[in-house]
Amino acid sequence: MSDLAPLLVALPVFGSVVALLAGLARDRVGWAVAVLTLVVQTAVAGTLMADVLGSEAIRYVVGGFTVPIGIELVVDGLSATIALLVAVVSLGVLAYARRAGPRSNAFYVIYLLLVAGLSGMSITGDIFNMYVFLEITGLTAYALVASGDGGRSAIAGLKYLLVGTVGASLFLLGIGFAYIATGTLNMGDLATQLAEVGYGSPLVLAAFGLLVVGLFVKIAVFPLHTWQPAAYAGAPDSVSAFISALVSTVAAYALIRIVFTVFGTEFLAATPLASTVLAAGAVVSIVVGSLLAVSQSELKRMLAYSSVSQFGLIVGAVAVGNVVALTGAAIHLVGHAIMKGGLFLAVGLVNDVTGARTVDEYAGLAKRSPVGAAAFSVLAVAMVGVPPAVGFVGKWYIALGAVEAGAWPLVVVIFASTLLTLAYFARVVERIYFRDSTETSGLAPTATDGGEDDAPEPVVSVGMRATVVAAAVVAVALGAVAAGYGDLLEPTIEGLLS
Amino acid sequence: MEPIVPPFVPVILAALLLPLLGQKFGHAVAGVATFAVVPYVWLVDSGAHFTSFDLFGFETVIFNVDPFSTLMGLIFAFIGAVGVLYSYYSDAEAIQTAFALSYVASSLGAVFGGDWLTLIFFWELMAVTSTLLVWHYGGKAVRAGFRYAILHGIGGTLFLGAVIWHFAETGSFLFASVPGGPETAGLAGPVAPVLAALGVGVNVGFIGLHAWLPDTYPRPHIAASVFLCVYTTKTGVYGMYRVFPDDGNVAVAYMGGLMAVFGATMALFQNDMRRLLSYHIQSQVGYMVAGVGIGSALAQAGAFAHVFNHILYKGLLFMTAGVVIYRTGEESLKKLGGLARQMPLTAGAFSVAALSIAGFPGFNGFVSKGIVISGSHYTFQKGPLVIGDFYTLELLLLVGGVGTFMSFIKFGYYAFFHGEYDGEVKDANRGQSVALVTVAALCVFFGLSDGSLFSILPFDVTDGAVVDHVYVTYTTDHIIEGVALAVAGLVGFALVKKPLSKLGRVPDVDKLYNPLSFYGTRALVVGVTELYAATDRAVVRVAGGVQRAVAAPDRAVGRAVGRDRVPLAAGISSGIVLVVLVAAVVVLAAVL
Repeated sequence: MSDLAPLLVALPVFGSVVALLAGLARDRVGWAVAVLTLVVQTAVAGTLMADVLGSEAIRYVVGGFTVPIGIELVVDGLSATIALLVAVVSLGVLAYARRAGPRSNAFYVIYLLLVAGLSGMSITGDIFNMYVFLEITGLTAYALVASGDGGRSAIAGLKYLLVGTVGASLFLLGIGFAYIATGTLNMGDLATQLAEVGYGSPLVLAAFGLLVVGLFVKIAVFPLHTWQPAAYAGAPDSVSAFISALVSTVAAYALIRIVFTVFGTEFLAATPLASTVLAAGAVVSIVVGSLLAVSQSELKRMLAYSSVSQFGLIVGAVAVGNVVALTGAAIHLVGHAIMKGGLFLAVGLVNDVTGARTVDEYAGLAKRSPVGAAAFSVLAVAMVGVPPAVGFVGKWYIALGAVEAGAWPLVVVIFASTLLTLAYFARVVERIYFRDSTETSGLAPTATDGGEDDAPEPVVSVGMRATVVAAAVVAVALGAVAAGYGDLLEPTIEGLLS
Repeated sequence: MEPIVPPFVPVILAALLLPLLGQKFGHAVAGVATFAVVPYVWLVDSGAHFTSFDLFGFETVIFNVDPFSTLMGLIFAFIGAVGVLYSYYSDAEAIQTAFALSYVASSLGAVFGGDWLTLIFFWELMAVTSTLLVWHYGGKAVRAGFRYAILHGIGGTLFLGAVIWHFAETGSFLFASVPGGPETAGLAGPVAPVLAALGVGVNVGFIGLHAWLPDTYPRPHIAASVFLCVYTTKTGVYGMYRVFPDDGNVAVAYMGGLMAVFGATMALFQNDMRRLLSYHIQSQVGYMVAGVGIGSALAQAGAFAHVFNHILYKGLLFMTAGVVIYRTGEESLKKLGGLARQMPLTAGAFSVAALSIAGFPGFNGFVSKGIVISGSHYTFQKGPLVIGDFYTLELLLLVGGVGTFMSFIKFGYYAFFHGEYDGEVKDANRGQSVALVTVAALCVFFGLSDGSLFSILPFDVTDGAVVDHVYVTYTTDHIIEGVALAVAGLVGFALVKKPLSKLGRVPDVDKLYNPLSFYGTRALVVGVTELYAATDRAVVRVAGGVQRAVAAPDRAVGRAVGRDRVPLAAGISSGIVLVVLVAAVVVLAAVL
C-alpha cells in the first residue's frame, strides 16, 4: 500500500489543475471538483491511517532515486493522522463554503493547492521538500486570505505574506546551515549526520535556531504571531476556519518533526538552551495569547489570539518532550483543529444569520441563532477543557507529561491556561445565554454572496448548519476515543523519541 | 429502698402532662407527682446509683445518691410542690407551670448526677428551661431573659470547658464518690477549677457576675419568681461544692463574705420588692459560698443547712411579695404601706420569713447562719482584719447580717406597717395561705428543733469526731449575737431611713456592662460591615482597573506614559522586525 502515499500530494494538485481547466469551460464547477478530489483524498488518507497506526511506517521514495539522494515520503502514525485531519477538515469546510462562499473557481483551485501543500508537509521525509511544501502552503494561504472583499483582507494578506515569507526564509536559512554541516537533506539521514558533526557545532545550533524560529512564525508563537489575528479576522469565514484549523497545525507538526526526527532527544539533552527556547515560547504564548484574547472585542480576533495561546500548549509539549506530552500534543493538534475550525464556522454562521461580529453583539444570541449559539458554546466549553470533550484529553496528557518531566513552571502555566481560556470564552457564553439582546435588528446581508443569482436564497444552508453542528459533536465525541487513539499512537511517538 | 427511677423523671412527666390535663387537674397531678419525690429521695439508700446509662457515648451515672444530693433533692422537691400549689392559686397558666416544672426537673437531674457530664448536661438544660420560664411572661421579661440567657450561656460554657479539661486530665467524668471514679475528688488540673469557679460563679452570683439576678427575678410572673429564686443559685452552691469538695478555696470563701455584705447593702437601696429580695439571694448565697469555700466539714454542713433553710424562707418571701403584688398590683415599696391591718396572714408570714433570713433566734436562719459563722471562726484563717475575737470572714458575714436586718426592717416597715393603705385589699387566698403557712411553720420548726435540721445534714455538726468544733445552736453568746444583730439593724435603719428615702435607683454593674456590651457589639458589627465594604470597594476598584487595562490596553499604557493612547498592535514592519529580532536573539544565544 506504500504507493498510496504520493497520491496524498498528487491528488489535490491534479484536482486543482482539473478545476482550473474545467473552470474555463463552465462556471461553478470548482466546488464539485474539489468535493470529488477531497473525498478520494480522505479515503486515501484513511486507508493509510488504518495501515500505519500501530504498525511500521510506510516509506516511499519518489522518482526511483535512493535515499538519501531522492525525496522520501514517510507515513507513520503521526503524519497519517495529520494527513487525514487535513483531508477531513478541508472536506468539511467545503460543505460550509458551498453556500457561504467564496464561490469562484479560482478559490477552489487555490484551496486544493493548499490541501496539497499541507498534505505534503505532513508526509514528507525530506527537509528541503518540507520547505517547498511550506512555501506552497504559505503562498496559497496568503492568496486565500486576500480573497475576501475589501481592503482589510488585502492588507491582512499582505501582512501575512511579508511576515510569513520572512519566517519561511529563516526556515530555508536553517536548512542551508544544516546542509552545510551535513551535506544531506533527508530527515533520517540528517539525524545521524548531525550527531556525527556534534551537537555543539555552531552550524548545527544556528540551524536549529533558524528552523525553530521560522516555524514559530508559521505557528504564530508570541511575539511572532503578528500576522495571524489580522489574517484570521480579515479572511472570509470559510478561509478563516480552514487556515486556523490546519495551517498552524501542520506547522506545529513540522516543529515536532524538526525537533525530534531531525535533531532528536539527544540534541535536546545536550543543548539545554533548545528546551529553554521552546518552553519560553510556550509560556509566553499561553499567557499573553490568552490575555490578548480577553481584551478583544471582535470574535474572530479573539479566536485568533486563542490560537496563539493553544499552540503555546503544543510548543510546551514539544519542550517537555516525553511520550505522554507528545501524545497529548498530537491529540490537542487534532482536537484544536476541529474545535477552532468549528468555532470560526460557528462565528461565520452567526454572522450570516444575525450580523453579530463582536462580543457585545452576542448578547441574547441564544434566541436569535439557537444553532450557532449552541454549537459555539459547546465548542467553547470543549476548548476550555471540560471533560469529556477532546480539549480536556489533550490538555490532560500534556499536563501529565509535564508533571512526569517535573517541569513545574510549565505545569502551573498549563493549568492556568485552562482558567485563562475560561476567561475569554465565559464572557461570550454568558452573553449568549444570560443577557438580553441590546438590539432588535434582524438579518444582515450576506457579505460574501456572489450576487450572480437573482433568486432569493436562504442566507444559511443546511450544509452550513450541519458542518457547525458536526464540528461540535465531533469535538465531544473525539474525547471518548482520544485515549484509545493515544495508545495506538504510542509506538510512533516512542519511535520518534528513540 | 432501692432506687427505681432518677427523681427528675416523675417531675418531667408531670411537666409534659400538665398542659394536657387542664388547669386544675393538671396542677393537682403535677403537685402530687412533685411532692412524691420528697419521700422517694428521703427513702432511697445513700450510695445507690445507676451505672449503665451512657450519655453521648460516655460512661455516666444519671442517678447517684449521697447525703448532699439527698438534702438538695428533698428541699427542691418540696418547694417545687409548694410552688405548684402557689402557681395554681396565683392564676399561673398551665404552660408556665410546665416550664417551671421542667426547670425543677433539670435541677433535680443536676443534683442527682453522679458525674460531671450529667451535671453539666442538666446545668445547661436549667439555663434553657429557666429562660423559657422568664420569657413566657413576655414584656420586659423578654429582654431580661435574653440577658439572663447570654450570661448563663457564658457561665455554662466556662463550666463545660472546665469539665472537658477535667476529662482530658483524668479520662473519666465520674465523681470520686462513685465506684469506678477517680481517686481525688473535684476537678483535676490547675485550670479546670478556675474555669469552673467562674462558670459556677455566674450561677451563684459572684460580685460582678451577679447582675442577672436582680435584673431577671423581679420581672416574670410572681409564681415564676418563686421557682427562680430557688433552683439556679442553689444548684450553683451544690456545683461549687462539687468543684471544691475537700478543702474549699480561700478566694471563694472571701468572695462569699463579700457577697453577703454587697448583696445586703444593695438590697437596702431597693424599692422594688422582688428586686430587694433578689439582692438578698446574692447576700444569702454568699453565706453558702463562704461555707463551701471554707471547706471544713462544719462549714460545708452549715452551707448546706443554709441552702435548705434559705429555700424555705426565700421561697416564703417571694410568695408574700407575690401575694402583695397579686392583691395590689404594685411592685414598689414606695406605693405600699399599712398592709398589715388588711393582710394579717401575709404580714405574719413575712415576719417569720424576715426573722428567719435575718437570723433571729428561734428561726431557722439563726441555726444555719450560725453554723457557717462558727465555721468561719473556728475552721478558717484569721485573715487580715481581726477585731477582738472576730476574724475577717466572720466580720463580713456578721455585717451582712446587720444589712439583712436593716433591709427587711425596711421592707416590712414600708409594706406592712408604715402609713395607711387606701382602699380595700384582701389577704392571701386560701391556696396561697396554705402555702405560706406551711412554709412559715417549717421555718419556725427548723429554728426551734435544730436537731431535725442536723439529722439531714451531710455531716453531723454535733459530733466532735466529724467536725472540728461541735456546734450548739442555743448558747448565750450566740443568742446575744443574734439579738445584737437585730438591734444593730434597728438602730441602723433608724439612722439611714431618711437618706434612704431620698435615694434614687442605685446603679449596679449592669449599668456599666449592658451599654458596654451593647455598644461593643454594635461597634463590632459596624466595624465588620465597614471592613467588608472597604474590602469590597478595593476589590471592585482593582477589578475595574484590570478590566479597563485588559479591554483597552493601548489606553492603559497611554495613561501610564501620559499620552492619550499608545498603539500596541504591530504593523507589518514591526512584525517583520520582531521576527528578525527573535531569530537574531535565538541564533546568537545558540551559537555563543
